[in-house]
Amino acid sequence: MHRWRWLMHIVLKSLAYRQGRSLLLLGVLAMAASLVTSLGIVSSAMGLRVAEEVRKYGANLVVLPAAARIEVGSGGLDFGTITEPAYLPQDALLRVVGNEGVTEYSLHLRGHLKAGALEMPAEGVDFAVIRRLYPWWQLQGGWPGADEAVIGIDLAARLKLKAGDRIRAAGTAGAREFRVAGVVSTGGEEDKLLFIPLARMQEALGVGSSVSQARLLAQTGGVTLEQRAARLQGLLPGSVVREVRQVARTSEGLLKKVQLLMALVTAVVLIAAASSVASTMSMTVLERGKEIGLLKAMGATRLGVLLLFCGEAVVLGLTGGGVGYLLGSGIARFVMKTVFMVSAGIDLRFAGLSCAVSLCLALLGSAGPMMSVFRLDPVRSLRGE
Amino acid sequence: MLVSIILGSAVATAFLGIQREISGKMALELRRYGANILLEPVAGDGTYMAVQELAKIKTVFWKHNIVGFAPYLFGVVEFAADGKREKGVLAGTWFERSLEVEGEDSTVQGVKVIAPWWSVAGGWPAAEDEAVIGTALARRLALTAGGTVRVMYHGREMPLRIVGVVTTGGYEEEQLFAPLMTAQRFLGQPGAVSRVLVSALTVPMDDFGRKDPAAMTKDEYEKWYCTAYVTSVAKNLEEAVTGSRAKPVWQIAGAEGALLGKLNGVMLLLTVLALTAAAIGVGTSLLASMAERQKDIALMKTLGADRLQVTAIFMGETLFVALIGGFCGYLLGDRLAELISRSVFASSLETPLWLLPIALAVSLLVAALGGILPLRRAFLVEPVKVLKG
Repeated sequence: MHRWRWLMHIVLKSLAYRQGRSLLLLGVLAMAASLVTSLGIVSSAMGLRVAEEVRKYGANLVVLPAAARIEVGSGGLDFGTITEPAYLPQDALLRVVGNEGVTEYSLHLRGHLKAGALEMPAEGVDFAVIRRLYPWWQLQGGWPGADEAVIGIDLAARLKLKAGDRIRAAGTAGAREFRVAGVVSTGGEEDKLLFIPLARMQEALGVGSSVSQARLLAQTGGVTLEQRAARLQGLLPGSVVREVRQVARTSEGLLKKVQLLMALVTAVVLIAAASSVASTMSMTVLERGKEIGLLKAMGATRLGVLLLFCGEAVVLGLTGGGVGYLLGSGIARFVMKTVFMVSAGIDLRFAGLSCAVSLCLALLGSAGPMMSVFRLDPVRSLRGE
Repeated sequence: MLVSIILGSAVATAFLGIQREISGKMALELRRYGANILLEPVAGDGTYMAVQELAKIKTVFWKHNIVGFAPYLFGVVEFAADGKREKGVLAGTWFERSLEVEGEDSTVQGVKVIAPWWSVAGGWPAAEDEAVIGTALARRLALTAGGTVRVMYHGREMPLRIVGVVTTGGYEEEQLFAPLMTAQRFLGQPGAVSRVLVSALTVPMDDFGRKDPAAMTKDEYEKWYCTAYVTSVAKNLEEAVTGSRAKPVWQIAGAEGALLGKLNGVMLLLTVLALTAAAIGVGTSLLASMAERQKDIALMKTLGADRLQVTAIFMGETLFVALIGGFCGYLLGDRLAELISRSVFASSLETPLWLLPIALAVSLLVAALGGILPLRRAFLVEPVKVLKG
């Protein structure tokens, strides 16, 4: 016990005596450790952040009745209905989707409504959900309340309607008048549709609580979307679950690339930082040939000298790691805040990583050159030859 | 010391090199999400644009931003195979067609370029009577690659050989895709196109981009027109292709802008971080190595060298090392940037030559800063003390 206290005493005194050097080493180690921490935090959060951003591309899974086809006219074209309509039971669908942990989804009920003699494609939706999940809707006017509708820009031009006008739409089971709250343009099929609240559409078509399509934004934690689709498919008899490859596959590919990029960048920076840290460390040890000579002349064993120098390295390494962690998480926080507007959570795993890296660098940087110092003849190094 | 200068300069070069290219590469990467501009006949459904107008897409002001485009001609027809009959959509398109425009480089256009997410089991059509079929339609007609489908339209009939089955999860699964010429001839609409999907590189929309062009002053309009917003590129295309109306596909265009902005932000911050780290690393390692040489300096002083001479010798030495290190670092950094670009984007990357003087200048500057500090310290010391040890 006594011995350890003395060792500690010598190490701390020696560090304090060579103030400038110790600060320099501490600074370099802290820099390397802060790089490890900040790059680590940013790259591990990048995957999640980019996944979050990619959700703005829209749904990645679509649930359809097995008997139905995807509307032929989708994608901005309308050929009219060429199939018998088919529906999904809303309650059963929501139960399964809820059990599977999919929280973001939108329900759609597609059908044809008549305005006077003119037949037009219409869709029943929940506008609150649309507003959240479809940020690309360019809406002129406002979001609708009850008994209000949104009209696609092409359909609006055809019917000569604008926001604030009223439209009377009749389905097979009833007619109702809607106020047009807004005109939507997306560059997609929405431009040719009339949107009314889901419940009103269900009344108009007289289909009870049924929907014709559900679009899901499934999280892909752990499993691929293909597997998720297959699992949902098994739980939803009478329906087809399709992976929207345009969004799903492209996003998976993009995520992989971003992660690879971050990993490579991190590796390059770390190698460069580590080598400069190690070289600085080793240079400061080589300087101290005379000290080592003196210690040896006084009868210190190799182990004793090694212990002393390693002790210094450990103290420096741990302090550097701690400072580096604080600095690095500050930098990571700044990056996440400026770019993604979220605050990065405090991850204590990185504190361990940061200290470990800094410790390793300090030990490696001082242990290597020490071996060559040991071979020095104490007499010679003391005489300064 | 040389090693750490080389590495520092390599990191700087690699980062500056990829930083510049990476936004371009990422933008191209995001184009894999598909077309962001839709061209339709201005007169509405049932009218067509002319296929020869399409060559103009590659001659517009923003021609270098156009990654690719694919024309489509649609017709509702009847399909028959093995006694099964189905009403469905025949789509004529270009799969992979090389387009020669006078005065421009030849380019490849078509579905394969703008919709890389299509997964085709089998092959792509090469001959005029070959087609790919959507999986949903194929399942109902019990068709697989290698089969033959008869297409009927207004009493006419045409056999098409199925060479591939396409899965996309979208409306494409309900259609049959044949070469554009074949569809035009069969549907009796020679030279007609019902829509064109264009994939264009654009800049994220900002507040200025969202302003209504109709309400802009002349100067503002000019600025808007000369910025590659998705709206201004669409406007440009609309003006070029007669009888067309261009619409941004907001689902793609909107998300792309946001994502691109963020990825670029991260890369920029990382570059700053890496550069600072490289500079600190090089500076400190110089600091340490210069300090070793206090004895040399003291000796020179006793021999009668003045400060200027000592500074000249030591700084000259340092700068020489820095110059070599900077150059080697540039070469190494160039390789590193290439390696990163190759493994992430599978495409090679051109490190601009102007980075070489910058790499050299930066390493000289850092070396000078790292050298001056210990040199000043060395001057303050009494030579006698140092020499005595």
